[in-house]
Amino acid sequence: MGAETFYSVIRRQGITRRSFHKFCSLTATSLGLGPLAATRIANALEAKPRTPVIWMHGLECTCCSESFIRSAHPLVKDAVLSMISLDYDDTIMAAAGHQAEAILEETRAKYKGQYILAVEGNPPLNEGGMFCIDGGKPFVEKLKMMAEDAMAIIAWGACASWGCVQAAKPNPTQATPIDKVITNKPIIKVPGCPPIAEVMTGVVTFITTFGKLPELDRQGRPKMFYSQRIHDKCYRRPHFDAGQFVEEWDDEAARKGYCLYKMGCKGPTTYNACSTVRWNGGVSFPIQSGHGCIGCSEDGFWDKGSFYDRLTNIKQFGIERNADEVGMVAAGTVGAAVAAHAAVTAVKRLATKRDDTKQDH
Amino acid sequence: MTRITVGPFNRVEGDLEVRLDIESGRVARAEVTAPLYRGFEQILEGRPPLDALVIAPRICGICSVSQSIAAAAALRQAMGVVTAPNGVLATNIAHAAENAADHLTHFYIFFMPDFAREAYASHAWHGAAAERFTATKGSAARDALPARARLLEIMGVIAGKWPHSLAFQPGGTTRAVELGERIRLNAIAASFRGFLERVVFADKLEHVLALATPNELDRWREGRSGDFAQFLRIADALDLAHLGAGPGLLMSFGAYHDADGARFRAGLRTSDGRVEALPSDRITEDVSHAWMRESSLDPAESRTEPDADKADAYSWCKAPRLAGQPVEVGALARQAVDGQTLISALVSESGSNVRNRVIARLIETAQLAVSIEGWIKALRLSEPFCETCGEAADGNYVGLVEAARGSLGHWLAVRSGSIARYQIIAPTSWNFSPRDADGVAGPLEQALVGTTVGDAGARAVSIQHVVRSFDPCMVCTAH
Repeated sequence: MGAETFYSVIRRQGITRRSFHKFCSLTATSLGLGPLAATRIANALEAKPRTPVIWMHGLECTCCSESFIRSAHPLVKDAVLSMISLDYDDTIMAAAGHQAEAILEETRAKYKGQYILAVEGNPPLNEGGMFCIDGGKPFVEKLKMMAEDAMAIIAWGACASWGCVQAAKPNPTQATPIDKVITNKPIIKVPGCPPIAEVMTGVVTFITTFGKLPELDRQGRPKMFYSQRIHDKCYRRPHFDAGQFVEEWDDEAARKGYCLYKMGCKGPTTYNACSTVRWNGGVSFPIQSGHGCIGCSEDGFWDKGSFYDRLTNIKQFGIERNADEVGMVAAGTVGAAVAAHAAVTAVKRLATKRDDTKQDH
Repeated sequence: MTRITVGPFNRVEGDLEVRLDIESGRVARAEVTAPLYRGFEQILEGRPPLDALVIAPRICGICSVSQSIAAAAALRQAMGVVTAPNGVLATNIAHAAENAADHLTHFYIFFMPDFAREAYASHAWHGAAAERFTATKGSAARDALPARARLLEIMGVIAGKWPHSLAFQPGGTTRAVELGERIRLNAIAASFRGFLERVVFADKLEHVLALATPNELDRWREGRSGDFAQFLRIADALDLAHLGAGPGLLMSFGAYHDADGARFRAGLRTSDGRVEALPSDRITEDVSHAWMRESSLDPAESRTEPDADKADAYSWCKAPRLAGQPVEVGALARQAVDGQTLISALVSESGSNVRNRVIARLIETAQLAVSIEGWIKALRLSEPFCETCGEAADGNYVGLVEAARGSLGHWLAVRSGSIARYQIIAPTSWNFSPRDADGVAGPLEQALVGTTVGDAGARAVSIQHVVRSFDPCMVCTAH
């Protein structure tokens, strides 16, 4: 065949063999596969023909692409943007107009049944798809056409996976997650708004290396990144367990790094890797910036009431108490009803924050 | 006359289509279409006001901080709160980082790759340009993308995550910067300066910012390495100063407020070079050529309702006008309105055009790098970063800010504690506006007229230069 391998592509890009091996072992680690897998990944990338990836944009905000190109991974730009061959990506590619459309057709025919279709955004179905016209055609048609001959499909982000805020009530365009439109292909959902860059590169690398999808949970998400709640690995978790909560942005409790549950944090019900992998080069994640998690990787996060309302249905220590009750214990008022505590909290919100939090803790 | 369609466009943010009538190898008429609509203004209605902080930024994954702070500015009025000074500074740092990152993306990833095209193969500068800027393969991206990612670690420190950060609240930022984090911010700012001085300008930022006249700029670039000087030489070779003339009026809402006022002031620069106060109460949105139902012209009173079958309509973008006129917004407008010496001189000399737009973005990037350093120093870590907010009172409010690509406004109406109306006018809504009821074309539509396409038709690279010189953000444009 003489087909191009990943390795030959990256060597042509001037990447050293040492960097390549570093990439393989970092990828193996981030996928949770252990040290032997690094060799397997390296062997596969050296020997197997590269897998074409077609990256399409529907109704979206481009945040997934943005996240992706800023991966902290030393080789991400080379490893993924060019080696893994985004043969077609609206945002960054060189071609334009009809030339770009031709690349789509060509890839589809040449790599029938072998390419990965990565979809950012989703199709709006109202008005015959008119809310997202791409190259004179509704995006939904282009999506179905390219899905037909794909090996597998990656649903990037909350839009492609679940619909996201553009599908929020009243969903003016009938923005629809892609698994409602494509039902005959394996789809891996990589939700989040956007997903974490390292999660995205990890998923792409796994699929292109092993030629199959990683193990998925019942909702179609890769288990390696979405099997734990933000809450399970949150560095503020000890304060949750101790009933120590932030009551106002940047109050004394916030400066001590207390739990953000009362500020509406959805960490306890959100499955994602933010508290372990973190964001922007592993620097931080929303909870570390002092704001609660909004649960952006969960289905329907946009229509579950105010983002600043607290969860009311979670238990603490695995027993029957919820956080409100534990909060009461910490404040020294045992046995009061949840409603009463909520009322106290509401009154305190109106008081000047620094004084009352000092009394509290 | 022939009619051609250019699109879908690549290397712009979002989807774009342009229809051109060509006469004797030149553009005689242009129509710009924003082909994507999601309905954010409809979705925001009826929700709690603070939810705008989560939903509105998701209009755009590129300018999300700008969208956040526009929403926060409108909510600040509604809540009658004054932002904590540290919150202002932290927001400025993050906002400037996003805008500078956008300018770099535009230059390296979107704009410069067009000079690597085969169409320019006969030019003496082509070989070097192709080596440096070919899309996804040139050496420049390997310098610029890591520098950009490093700069955006600022978002990690201040905002937790980016895009779609949550830390920007009406009262300030949700988290105090700690001592160790200030050191980290300083290190990031220093490495950004290093990248600009080494790779982009090949000179100290202070020297670049001291350039005051077109002649000084010409002398400065002679024999200089660095990507900015390379662009200047190409721009002269291709006469980009006479390509893509804007409509003449340049507008800025003013940006980066701190204790000393706005770093870049608000105003309107007229075509005779005067800078006037901004008549912000004379902003209107016309829907005569948008797939939208008629509503009030005043964004404070109007609602957004799609009408996909409307005759004469050709875009999801409404037509914003200032006192009835189309205006150009962006870094060039911001710097010209602010009176930046070099940019004012260039605009006085040759107006708004492809070359000057690109120069203004890079000059602004140098300014932002310097400002970021100052704002980091000005943080007083033991003082508050966020003030407590009350409930949003009923009324009409507006948040006017500058995104990388120009003026961004959020008009918010609160009734009975909920959002009654929400209207957004984004930078590219101004620049890529369709025609209005009087048939007056938007800034890009005007800028394209007269552009030579020769026999290349839809493939003409001149069209690509003009369109990309505005750095369109189509996902913001129609939202």
